[in-house]
Formats: sequence, C-alpha cells, structure tokens
Amino acid sequence: MRMKEKINQKLIETGEKERLKELLRTQLIECGWRDELKVHAKEIVKERGIENVTVDNLIAEVTPKARASVPDAVKKDLLQRIRTFLSQQPGL
Amino acid sequence: MNLDGCAHLRSFKTRKGTEPFRIVHSYFIIAASQEARKRKANSCYCHMCKQHRPRLHACLHCVFFGCHGARHIHEHARVKQHNLAVDLSYGAVMCFSCGDYVYDRELETIARDQRRKAAKNGQVKELCCPWDPTSAEIELLQRNPKRRKITESSTIGLRGLINLGNTCFMNCIVQALTHTPLLRDYFLADRHNCQMEDNANMCLVCELSRLFQEFYSGVRVPHIPFRLLHLVWTHARHLAGYEQQDAHEFFIAALDVIHRHCKGQNSESETNPHHCNCIIDQIFTGGLQSDVTCQHCRCVSTTIDPFWDISLDLGSDDARNNNNDTVNRGTSSGKLNGCDNHPESTTLTDCLKRFTRAEHLGSSAKIKCNACQINRESTKQLTMKKLPLVACFHLKRFEHSTRYHKKISTYVSFPQYLDMTSFMSSRRNDNGYINGTIAEINSDNNRYALFAVVNHLGTIESGHYTCYIRQHKDQWFKCDDALISKATLQQVLDSEGYLLFYHKQFLEYE
Repeated sequence: MRMKEKINQKLIETGEKERLKELLRTQLIECGWRDELKVHAKEIVKERGIENVTVDNLIAEVTPKARASVPDAVKKDLLQRIRTFLSQQPGL
Repeated sequence: MNLDGCAHLRSFKTRKGTEPFRIVHSYFIIAASQEARKRKANSCYCHMCKQHRPRLHACLHCVFFGCHGARHIHEHARVKQHNLAVDLSYGAVMCFSCGDYVYDRELETIARDQRRKAAKNGQVKELCCPWDPTSAEIELLQRNPKRRKITESSTIGLRGLINLGNTCFMNCIVQALTHTPLLRDYFLADRHNCQMEDNANMCLVCELSRLFQEFYSGVRVPHIPFRLLHLVWTHARHLAGYEQQDAHEFFIAALDVIHRHCKGQNSESETNPHHCNCIIDQIFTGGLQSDVTCQHCRCVSTTIDPFWDISLDLGSDDARNNNNDTVNRGTSSGKLNGCDNHPESTTLTDCLKRFTRAEHLGSSAKIKCNACQINRESTKQLTMKKLPLVACFHLKRFEHSTRYHKKISTYVSFPQYLDMTSFMSSRRNDNGYINGTIAEINSDNNRYALFAVVNHLGTIESGHYTCYIRQHKDQWFKCDDALISKATLQQVLDSEGYLLFYHKQFLEYE
C-alpha cells in the first residue's frame, strides 16, 4: 500500500499523471471507445428520461462494459509507459 | 443545459460566495504549477481510507476529502450536514440533498477561466467545449444580420476559374481539390497553421486556404487564380510557362508542394518522411504492396510503397509486354482494335484487375532471390495494402515514345460506386491469384464513391481539360474554366475520363 501511494504521489508531482491521462484520453478517442460509450449512455438517458437518471446511475451502468472494452493495446501501452517512468525515478 | 445549479448551491453561494469553489478548483483540479502539484500529491487522499482513491471529492464546507466508492464523502455529508462537494476529476459539484451533480453558470465560468489561463501558460491542456459566443461575437452577429442558408439549390462552393492561358489543367485540379470533402472540411475549419513565418505569402497551403474561402464565399463571379499560378510556378519549376501541362502531373506536383509546406506542423515528420501526418498524407496516401515470388523456391519478397494515385494502363497489348503469354491473357471486355492494339472499350475494374494480376517477369528480367542467392525468374504482383481516404485513378491516355506521342481515346467505363475489396493485399493467396468470386460479401470499409472526373478533350497537341464535380451528395456540375453548368450523372459516367477521384464512403476508426 505504501508503494502504491508513493508511486501515485510521484506521478502527480511530476505532472506525469496528467500527461498519461491525456495520452490515454487520446488513444481511447482514436479507437472509438469513447464514442461507443457515449452512444450507450445516450441510449440509457433516452430510455429512462433525462429527469430520471443521475450521473451515478450512468456511471454504474456504463462502467462494466467500459472497463471490459478497453483495447489490450491501449492497456499494454499505458503499462509500458508507467514502467518506463518508474524506472527513471530515483529511489522508487 | 440547466446552468441554474440548485437551491442548496444558491444558498451556499449567498453565505460563502464562490471562494471555496475557486480555491478547490484551482489547487486540486487545475493544479498547474509545480508547487500546486506537490500540494495535490500530498493532500489528495480519502481521509477515511487514508489513501488515494478514484472519484475523490472535496467538501465545500470544510477541509475534507472523501472517496465515492466506499461512500466516505456521502457519510461526511450526512454526519456533518455538509451537502456540497466537488469531484476532483472534473470539477463537478455534487449536491447530496438533490442526489446528483448540479451545474451552476457562475462556477462553470470560473472553472473555464482558470483552465484557459493555465492552458495559455502551457501548463494544462485546454478542454474542448462547445462554442459559446462572446459578447463581442454576439455584437458582430447582430451587426451583420445577413445569413446564408444552404439549401438543395444552393450553389455555394461552386465557382468558375478564369483561364490564364492554357491553365485549364490547373483549373480542373483546383475544382477537384475544392470539392474533396475532407480537404474542404480541413480548410473551412481553418486548421492550417502556417509554418513559413518569414514569407507567409509563399505558402501554397495558405493560398489553398484562401482559395477555399473564395469558393465558399457565395461570390458567383469567376475567380482569377493568378496568385496560385504564380506560387505553382515558383515551387514546381517544371510546370512553369504558358504551355498546356498534364493535369495529372500538376496534381502530383501540387500535392507534393502542399505536403512539403505542411511539414513541421506534426511531429515525427522530420525524421521519417514516410510517416508524415499532414492533411495530404492523411487523405491521399495509400500503401501499394509489391510481391516478387521466386519461381524456383517460391520465396516471396515484399515491399510496401506509399502512393498518392494509381496510374492504370488501358489494356494495350503491344510489344511493351515482355511475355508473349500476356497477349492472350487480355482481360478487357471489348474487342481489340486492329491496327493500334488498343481495345475499343474497357472498364475501370478491368484496368484494376490487370494492374493487380500476377505478372511473369520473363527470362530476360530475372531478379535476385534472397533465398536462392542467384537471379531467378519471378512473378511480380501489385496489390493494395492500405487504401487512401481519397483514391485518384489516372488513366494512362498519353503515350510518349521516341517515335510518337499520341492519345489513347479508348472508352473506359467507370462506376459511381467502386468496391476495392478484391484488389487488397489481404485477398492475395499463395498462387498470386486474387479471390474474386462475386458471391463474396463486400466489406463496407472498401467502398468508394465518385466525386470528381477530369476529362481531356482533343489531341495531344491541342487539347482542353474540363471536369465534373459532385456537390451535395448527388448533384453534378461541369466545370469548363469560367463556365459552370449543371450536369447529369449519366453525362459524367459517359465521359471519357482521365483522372477519376473517389472517396471512401464510410470512415472507420482504425
């Protein structure tokens, strides 16, 4: 647990977390992942009506599919980048 | 979108103002500076879990961070009666009384301004938000009340081009380019950032951008493209002069200059010219695969070359073919024209079949096989590895040899919709034959639609270029220099055809 915290702190401090988030965002857009989920979310809202859906509802419904449909290539790439980052940090 | 927030948020703002939100947003959501990031790293963790968690929320009433997953922020809200919290991922305000996120105009503006400021300093990325006119823009819109409505009969995007002296070859290519859907979108969205700071008036891409503005301005008087002509002469010396030039050559030269002038905008282009990401490469570049098979050991040597166009032979069976076998393998659907050995008519599909068939290179043209290490007789086959978004087919109608120059006027029929599936590299099997059974389900991804046709009238010594372009999905117009007239699809398909422009019907994610 301590290690996880340390890594997270390092990522935030150096600004790497933001950079990685941005990269991930771009990759997920480029492969169509975001648009697929957008469509899914819109369908849910359409079905239930905008008044009857909360953000938490949407998140709960969309998350399982979202997690499952992240392309392996994207996961691999991010993992690799995090590893590279960590290997460059002294004292971690 | 409802930007009125909620009663609870309004009452909070009355009591505490916007400062709490301002601070939380600036420190923990934007966190632009080095110092801010350190602070964020050290303090953003769930006070109950004692560790960093996804969907952290910061209480607006006191200094407390709680996670959403274990409902620690919910508990805090309930116990302390602190009903407002800010989600640290996106800066959205959660009202626990209402049970959902609420959006307040004032707070949205604060958030947007903070982000914009940080983005200007290059510290943070600016988020994409829908266009909201500023007060200055609203005033401009009110002062200029004239609006142009695009209807079916709207002629916007159509404009004649004055012939400056045998420049019809240039005019036709300009018409084709200004009606290339993706290119048009790129320039009308003002996406070009000029890389030539010192002499911006030498940039061909800027000139092209201005050209698009001219075409879509709604002005009906023909445009005089003298600046474009001058720039072309400057950057493509071989095309300078008032003689009639080849439209195809101009097309390739224009793409080359635009590609060069775009460079530097996108990274990676300096080191690897084949991986340029400029708009020209994104739209026009495809990959042509060449497979050379050694007839002895069957070893295949493959290369892939980028292309901007495909030049197709029309099916002449003269002595240019090394192998006598090919004389009888003619795939053209028409009869052979006795004296010239050119078929009277053929189709685009036949030309493509011919282009992608396996060709025996003959005993006088042996290639060194990498496995055998000696020169062997081989077969060579060209197939499409990667299809471009816009495909340009060049029908080789002009023959130049030491003995003669002539134009081949064979009629080539071309379709309105073209499926490239059977010419793809993926269809090539070991024998080098392409699976071309009609019963195959055609892939959506390989379907193309015709949008421009450049025609050459006359002979090789004195000729004239005109073109047909498609507007509004199914309206065709003939462009003859300054004269634009309505045309029918049938007229287009009946025309001789020299350069055929197709665009992919469906754009897919890779």
